[in-house]
Amino acid sequence: MNEQELIEKSQLGDKRALADLVKLYEQTVYNFSFKICRDKDKAEHTMQETFMSMVKNIKQFGGKSKLSTWLYTVVSNHCLMLARANKKFNSAPSLDDEEVLIDEKNIADWNVVPDKVTENNELKAILDEAIQKLPADYRIVFMLRDVEGLSTEETGKITELSVPAVKSRLHRARAFLRNELNQKLKYETA
Amino acid sequence: MKQHKEINCKEVMHHICDNLGEDLDSPRCVEIKSHLDGCESCQTYFKSVDNTIQFYKKYNVKLTDEAHNRLIDFLGLKED
Repeated sequence: MNEQELIEKSQLGDKRALADLVKLYEQTVYNFSFKICRDKDKAEHTMQETFMSMVKNIKQFGGKSKLSTWLYTVVSNHCLMLARANKKFNSAPSLDDEEVLIDEKNIADWNVVPDKVTENNELKAILDEAIQKLPADYRIVFMLRDVEGLSTEETGKITELSVPAVKSRLHRARAFLRNELNQKLKYETA
Repeated sequence: MKQHKEINCKEVMHHICDNLGEDLDSPRCVEIKSHLDGCESCQTYFKSVDNTIQFYKKYNVKLTDEAHNRLIDFLGLKED
């Protein structure tokens, strides 16, 4: 059964179809939630709340956007709400000055390659620490556009930002994260 | 033909952060690509921005069977 058929059956109250729809997206939603929250318990909680929202509202889903877009929107809003409730949110660094984010003297080779990430817990800790310094609203744009591979337009729709605003946040997020990782990885050995 | 000012590394680095992964072919972009081809420093910067994205792409977590079961229970979708 394809996604559209599952949605239609779910809208008629078919629990089996609803469970299949959950199964279709649970890994994506959990992984994306983790990438924003950087905490497995919070990611599971966000995933549960996201699918509860889907179950409650599936009858109103008109199919104007993709179901995945709708799920990304719910996760993003939930994570943003959690971040705003966190006191640390207010002490996040300012990324307003684009000029200071790029320092042409601060260039170094990194001796760790991306393929090593799955087997290197120390590297995972460095990645977690860096991304948690990035304000949540920038983190969401970076994850949607660069990591999940959504288009700039889709990212804007989910975050309710204009295309230029998405591009500006993406630029700053990339530069900020690159700088944070550069501080840690330029001294690492493979 | 309109002459552009000479491109410096900082400008190229801004361009990398702006347009990574997008294949742009404006005259300015062609100049930037040409600078990038001959500038080791900018190539290193480009690689580090690209690697930053790749690191986060490859860092994934898998949903466990237990977490799946808790989700189905939470949603009341367990088969009778």
